[in-house]
Amino acid sequence: MRAGGPGFVGKTWALVVKDVKLELRARDTLPPMVAFAGAVAVLLAFSIPSSGNLSAPVRIVAGSAPLTDVLAGFLWVTVLFAGLIGFARTFEVEREEAAIDSLLMAPLDRSGLFFGKAIPNLLFIVLVEAILIPLFAILFGIDLGGSWAVLASVALLADLGFVAVGTLFSALAAQTSSRELILPILALPVLVPVFIAAVVLTSDLFAGSSLDEVARRGWFAILVAFDVIFITAGALLFEFTVE
Amino acid sequence: MIEIQNLSVFFGRTIALDHVDLELAPGIVGLFGQNASGKSTLLRVLGGLLPPTSGAVTWEGAPIGSAGEEQRARIGFAGHGSGLYLKLAIRENLILFARLYGVPVTRVDDVMEILGLGPRSSTLVGELSAGLKRRAGVARALLHEPDLLLLDEPYAHLDDEASESVSLAVRSWRAPGRTAVIATHGAKRIKQFTDSRVVLQRGRVITHLSAEALSARAQV
Repeated sequence: MRAGGPGFVGKTWALVVKDVKLELRARDTLPPMVAFAGAVAVLLAFSIPSSGNLSAPVRIVAGSAPLTDVLAGFLWVTVLFAGLIGFARTFEVEREEAAIDSLLMAPLDRSGLFFGKAIPNLLFIVLVEAILIPLFAILFGIDLGGSWAVLASVALLADLGFVAVGTLFSALAAQTSSRELILPILALPVLVPVFIAAVVLTSDLFAGSSLDEVARRGWFAILVAFDVIFITAGALLFEFTVE
Repeated sequence: MIEIQNLSVFFGRTIALDHVDLELAPGIVGLFGQNASGKSTLLRVLGGLLPPTSGAVTWEGAPIGSAGEEQRARIGFAGHGSGLYLKLAIRENLILFARLYGVPVTRVDDVMEILGLGPRSSTLVGELSAGLKRRAGVARALLHEPDLLLLDEPYAHLDDEASESVSLAVRSWRAPGRTAVIATHGAKRIKQFTDSRVVLQRGRVITHLSAEALSARAQV
């Protein structure tokens, strides 16, 4: 009974569709992520005085910083923790009824399982950002003009690395009883470079930098390199974390 | 042929399997023993889901777990959980696994019919009774018509009629060269169609009756 059937991509896509379908029915991953992100944005709107001038300095403990830096920092910290809320649930559906055993026994390369989990995670984080970034723009009067596409590109690059690391470590954390606590401990140190890069580039965009200026920043290259390294590492190492 | 040599599995200080040596010929093997005798652990090792602490397990000469996708495609496993997704219907679950195994979707309907799941095919697995979940798990294990079938307590929570549908499914799957290892703590259900029997006690094999021994016993 072993017909040719779908190849690697077809099988991986079947897993992606499965996770999206499960989320549409259970709604237990995306809503908490969105609720957290929305709540943080609204709270910030009440705590950061916005003068309407994004280059105005904001007084902080160590002196002062442009509002663009502060907002970029808060934006990405919100994305980071919203993402960790979601990633911690990555393998919940596999734990119920021991579905993970069925997946591990299926004739699919482990990297297919990695992408089958990472792609839905990427979709969820992009959806959170699709709500959060416009909300930030409205609440803090951010006008990016024609730079929205550039910000979307920077966000997507940051998301790729974030999701690769989050998915890889969520497989490790899923095998522990305190996975919600273990995941941040494992993932946060690794994620520092990607979030520094995202904050610096986003701040530049908020301050009016163009695509050329942003692309010339070393952080842009770091973001790309991080993505290549951790997507490759995730695909190759997933086998050792999930088994 | 499954060859198990000096197999031990420890969970911390707990000994789940203790120097097990077995040769299992093709056919249906009844794996018996009380709770915590090591049946489930042995099945998980045979399925490549649990690496042995020591010892070796080979199937058709290849070490279990190391032969990759090709070997996994030939093994069917149903453990204590159904191995299915609670928020998907039985049919949706089986179609997902049919895609992963490269099995035509028509086979999904066939296997559901054999196991009496047809009328509940659109029911979410999370809404099924324990017995129906168990049968759905067996359906998933049989879906790709594996050459090595591993069933852990497939009769748990089943009434006589449902048990008979599981036995019928296993008997109709049976073919020369195929091996099934069925673990249960009650021998009654499968005694009539097992080719060999293994009894475990506290992780050790205390009885192994091969097909020859069983037929010799039947003639006495």
